[in-house]
Amino acid sequence: MRQPVRTRLPLFRRAFVDSWRSTLAWAAGLAAAAFLYLPLYPSIGGSEQMQEMVNALPAEMTRALNYDQIASGPGYTQATLFGLIGFLLLSIATVAWGAAAVGGDEESGQLELTLAHGVRRVQVVLERALALLLRVLLLAALVFVVISLLNGPSQLDIDAGNLFGAVVLFSGLGLLSGSAALCLGAVTGRRTYGLAAGAAVAVLGYVFNAVGRQSPDVDWLLSLSPYHWAYGNSPVANGADWAAAGWLWGLSAALVALAAVALERRDVGA
Amino acid sequence: MAIAVSARSLTKSFGRREVLHGVDFEVQAGSVFGVIGPNAAGKTTTMRCLLDIIRPTGGEVRVLGVDPRTGGPELRRRIGYLPGELFLEGRVTGRKLLSHYQAISGPVPPGRIDELAQRLGLDLDRHTRKLSKGNKQKLGLVQAFMHQPELLVLDEPTSGLDPLVQQEFHSMLREARQRGQTVFLSSHVLSEVQQTADTVAILRGGRIIAVESVAGLREGAVRHLRFTATGTAAADAVALLGTVPGAGNVEVLESNGTVTLSAVLEGPIQPLLQALGRLELTDLVLEEPDLEESVLKMYAGPGEGVR
Repeated sequence: MRQPVRTRLPLFRRAFVDSWRSTLAWAAGLAAAAFLYLPLYPSIGGSEQMQEMVNALPAEMTRALNYDQIASGPGYTQATLFGLIGFLLLSIATVAWGAAAVGGDEESGQLELTLAHGVRRVQVVLERALALLLRVLLLAALVFVVISLLNGPSQLDIDAGNLFGAVVLFSGLGLLSGSAALCLGAVTGRRTYGLAAGAAVAVLGYVFNAVGRQSPDVDWLLSLSPYHWAYGNSPVANGADWAAAGWLWGLSAALVALAAVALERRDVGA
Repeated sequence: MAIAVSARSLTKSFGRREVLHGVDFEVQAGSVFGVIGPNAAGKTTTMRCLLDIIRPTGGEVRVLGVDPRTGGPELRRRIGYLPGELFLEGRVTGRKLLSHYQAISGPVPPGRIDELAQRLGLDLDRHTRKLSKGNKQKLGLVQAFMHQPELLVLDEPTSGLDPLVQQEFHSMLREARQRGQTVFLSSHVLSEVQQTADTVAILRGGRIIAVESVAGLREGAVRHLRFTATGTAAADAVALLGTVPGAGNVEVLESNGTVTLSAVLEGPIQPLLQALGRLELTDLVLEEPDLEESVLKMYAGPGEGVR
C-alpha cells in the first residue's frame, strides 16, 4: 500500500516539531555558555596567575572540578564547557525530554489517545527516542561548530579530530541520561520517576567521578561513572576513547529497547 | 446480522482489585450500543480493552472480527476513539493536531475535517490548550469521526457540550448509523443514550446487569399520566383507572365539578386509552416514558441482593 510521504514517521515528526521552542532555547543556552567561557581562556586559563590560583586550591577541589588541566586550551574547554556547564545544560535538557517522551505523555493522558490510533507501541517509543536523538545531535553539532569558531580567536588550539571525538562522547553522555529518563518513564508511566532516573545517571556519574578521583581506595567508583568513561582521559586534549563512546551509545540504545518492551507489555493509563 | 463487537466473560484486574467481573455483550454491526452506569462501573475499562490500551485478564473480546490484542494498527485504523478524559495540551492549533492524528488513523476524505469542525462550531486555528473543555471535546469528536471508521468507541461523548452542540452530535450519530457504522458509547445519563441508542447495556460494579433494546426499555418503562375530565365523580374515575393493568399511584388533584387525576402507568398504553375513552376528557398528558426511573430500579435491583 502506498503511503503519502508526509505520513512517514508521524510520531517522530510531532515529537520533534512540537519541541522546537525548547530545542532552540537549549541551543541558545549552550551557545551562550560557550561564548561566555571560551573567550576568557587567554586571560584566565592560560595565565600564570590563574595557574598559581589553581595550584593554591585544595588538590581535592581541583580534581573534583577537573581544574588540574585548565592551563591548556583543550584542558580548559574540557573542564569548563564539556565537564561542567555544557554537561549540566545538556543533561537537564535530555532528562526533561526523555521523561516527557513516554511517561510524561502518559501521565498527562495524551498517550492513551495516540495508542488508540494506527500505531504500535514499539513504534511510539522508537520514534520518540529518535526525536530525542536528533535533538541531542543538533545540540552537539552546535557545540562543535561554536567551539570550532572560537578555537582560533580564543587561542584554544584544539585539534578538530579530538573535538569531534569529545562531542561524540558529550552527546553520548547526554543520550544516556535522556534514555534512562525515557526508559523509566515508559516502565512506570510516571514522568517523575523518569526525571529521577535520568538525573541519577547524570548526578551520580558526576559525583562518582569527583569522589573516585580523590584516592586509589575509591577509584572503583570511576568504573561506575559514565561521566568518567567519557571524560576520564580528557578527550578534547587526548582524543576520544571510542570504546567508551560505544558503551554510552550502546547502553542508551539498550535502555530505549527496554522501554519499548516494557511499554508493549503493560496497561496504559490504568 | 453481523456482530461488530463482542465480549465474553471479560474480566480485568488491576493488581488484586478486579474491576470487571465477567462482562458479556454483543453489539450488532450498524447499531448504536449505549453503556450506562454509575462512575467506576467499568465503562472506561471496557472501552480501553476494545482498543488494546488495557489488556483483559480473562475472557474473550472481538472487535470487527479480530482480537484487539492481535489486531494491531490495522484494526485501530478502523476505529474512532474518544477517551473519557481528553487532554490536549500541546502548543499547537487544532488543525495541526488533527493533521497529526490524521497521519496515524485511517484515510480521511478531503474537506472532512473542516466540515465536522463547522458543524460543531469549532475554531481550528486556536491553540488547543487555550480551548475550553467543550471545545476540546469537539476536537476529540472530530478526530474520532473524521476517518469515518467502521466502529466508533465514544466514552461520555457529550460531556462538556452545550445542548445545541449535543443536538448536532446526535445527528452525527444518526448519520454514522445510516452509513452503516457501529457506535459503542457510554454515558452516565440515560437520557442521552435513550435518544441515540438502539440497545442499552447497564453496567454496574463491573457487571452487565441488563441489556435491553431501547424500545423494550420504553415498553417496560414508567409513564406519568395526568388527565382532566368533566361529568364524572372522582371516585368513579379512580375506579376506572383501577381496571387498567399497570396503572398505579393514582392521585386526585382536583374534584370540584371537573376531576383531575394523576397516575403512573407501567406497561402498554392501549388498555389505558380504551378506559379513558369512556370519559369526557378536557385535558390529557401522557409523558415520555421515563427510562431513568426504570433504570434506577435496575441499579437498585439485582446485584444488591446477590452480594
